[in-house]
Amino acid sequence: MEMILNTIRLINNDQNVEWNCQDVEFMEEHLAIGFINPLDFKKLYLVPSLKLHISNNHGDVIVNFKQDSKIPEGIILMPVSLWANQVTYVKNNNIIYKNIKVNVEGTRDPPTKLNELIEKIKSDKI
Amino acid sequence: MAFSLELLKGNVKIEDCTPLLDDPKYQEKYLKLKDLLKSEEGKKKELKINIENELCDGCGICVTICPVNARYCYSILSGKAPDYPPDTHQLFMVKEGKCELLNIKYCRRLETEGKERECRVCETYCPREALKIEYI
Amino acid sequence: MSEQLKITCSGCSLLCDDIIIIKDDKEIKEILGACQKGINKFNQIKSKNRILSPLYKDKGGLKVLEWDLALNKAIQIIKNAKKPLIYGLSTISCESQILALKIAKKIDAFIDSNSTICQGKFLNIASEMGITTTTLTEIINKSDLIILWGTNIVESIPRLFSKILFSRGKFRMTGREIKNLIIVDIYKTASFKVMGTRDLAIIIRPNEDIELIKILKKAVKGDYTFPNEGISGIDKQDLERFKTFLLNSEHITILPGQALLNQKTNGDAIKELLELVNLLNNIKNNGRISLLMVGGHYNMVGFEHMALSETGKNQSIQFKNGESIKSDDNIISKIQKEDFDLSIIIGTDPISHFPLEISKILSSKPIILIDNKKSGTFLIATLILPTSITGIENKGLAFRLDHVPIQLKKIIEPPSLIQSDYELLQKILDRLNK
Ligand code: SF4
Ligand code: SF4
Ligand code: SF4
Repeated sequence: MEMILNTIRLINNDQNVEWNCQDVEFMEEHLAIGFINPLDFKKLYLVPSLKLHISNNHGDVIVNFKQDSKIPEGIILMPVSLWANQVTYVKNNNIIYKNIKVNVEGTRDPPTKLNELIEKIKSDKI
Repeated sequence: MAFSLELLKGNVKIEDCTPLLDDPKYQEKYLKLKDLLKSEEGKKKELKINIENELCDGCGICVTICPVNARYCYSILSGKAPDYPPDTHQLFMVKEGKCELLNIKYCRRLETEGKERECRVCETYCPREALKIEYI
Repeated sequence: MSEQLKITCSGCSLLCDDIIIIKDDKEIKEILGACQKGINKFNQIKSKNRILSPLYKDKGGLKVLEWDLALNKAIQIIKNAKKPLIYGLSTISCESQILALKIAKKIDAFIDSNSTICQGKFLNIASEMGITTTTLTEIINKSDLIILWGTNIVESIPRLFSKILFSRGKFRMTGREIKNLIIVDIYKTASFKVMGTRDLAIIIRPNEDIELIKILKKAVKGDYTFPNEGISGIDKQDLERFKTFLLNSEHITILPGQALLNQKTNGDAIKELLELVNLLNNIKNNGRISLLMVGGHYNMVGFEHMALSETGKNQSIQFKNGESIKSDDNIISKIQKEDFDLSIIIGTDPISHFPLEISKILSSKPIILIDNKKSGTFLIATLILPTSITGIENKGLAFRLDHVPIQLKKIIEPPSLIQSDYELLQKILDRLNK
């Protein structure tokens, strides 16, 4: 399903903080996450055990999700992080952090691990 | 409607309803209602301010906005944190990034015996909904 | 023996100078007044993710180096590079920023700060148009309307509201009662919770901020009625109130956020907003409208000032033959064009902030990382030189978000063999000069 992704900063989901003081598992739990409206949850046929597969032509990533009725329908919010970086991109020498068109589906695969993301960066394949 | 429910539960007081107090045409109803609730009030519920540690982020809004704090801690007027050690009247203080209730004695809601003054700004403006005024 | 000190927190750009700590000779015992974000900064001191010795990555993985060897290695890598980049600099002191600029000059580097991808663009257009930023004191004492446009400061600068919205100020002793607040965002963020009944909450459809600004521009000129169905998901009634607020308030402060930089629609939302500010300033006889930029890093503003005084340009500076030359590049375009062969990253974590495509290119060349903690960039850096934490383990000057300079104190001793950014950069510069 097509949705609009916005990256945000949250005091409890802040990669600076996570890098500072926490271990990798904690970081994965707090940063590999998307926030969506419960109505989108229904539309995506999600159940709590599923994860979100987020993709666009810049890349893709699998993250956990949380429902939040304050978020408008059709919008997915993610903390600024290595995970969100998989779908952000550059336009006119600016990094686009907001209003990113993405495709979102439920998946049974586990959330992308930190070392997978680092390997992705290091690998030559673009 | 929600207000009357809260009223019955004892979470708010009849004095909390400003239109009732302000408008003379409601005066009669106000007195009537107060009378009705008397039996409840008779049990004398105790004021509690509950701060949920998990939710609080130490933003200091409650510290700054509480009128009692502002009266006794001069630095608050310009948005700064109060001095330490705290003034004996001071209600809130942020310690290790979390808000702490120092004492409830001087809260305006208790100020004059039997005639509580309306104030719940600390609860109203807490952005994390961490602070709750309760009567238990 | 424990003592009580008043210090400045360097957890974010607000640089709260009212934090009280109680400490003994070795460590900090209690911290009073700082928010959760600030406490996290102090937690860095003993974090298990701190870097405590220089590290070098070769085929066998990360190796611990002696300082002397590490510095030699750094000099060797730098001297081999023809087109080095220096990036970051928002979380070091002004003194260190000057040294970094000197190093850039010495090695003909391209130097840029985080501001480029954050508030920098905004500031540049504002100064071109002659719009000034304001100070916290002015907001506290004078503002009667604060507009948050696409920024959620409860999360990013937790104590800002308690300082600018809830403080009483000199001329407006009643504080909250007289200051109004408008928040424009795409959903009800935590910041909306501080709103009172008179404040105006504007929930706008994503990507349509520019429509709202354009219509407000028409409206404040006078000869315009809002469409009955509203625009961008905002009621006509709210639009009317927005207009009235703009026209009837004296001192308006606008806090613009990232959302405005990322509009996809045609036209430039920043320019439109600044034009609205200019327009209002012309219409109004008394009072003024100004901006407050809410960048996150504690000394992002400092770099603008240091770079401006050293080179005449506030960001994205290309040195050639020891002179700063004209260049339209910024850090992103340099990386995208692969116009570099080494990056020196100081106190920041680009790998966790840049899109994958940019991170890939950045990591394909050697990286020297100067920082105090592990990060995404740490995991791919070639040479890592640890430093102490400015504002806790060493002193230095920093500029608050409203461009006011504040001196950060040294509170405790750094871990053994760990030096400050200043000392480290000075050593690198000395060795380069040799
Ligand atoms: S209700 Fe009591 S504690 Fe809360 S702000 Fe008012 S006086 Fe202060
Ligand atoms: S206002 Fe709420 S979040 Fe802020 S310090 Fe007080 S209790 Fe904590
Ligand atoms: S608002 Fe920023 S500077 Fe102030 S205590 Fe919090 S983190 Fe530190």
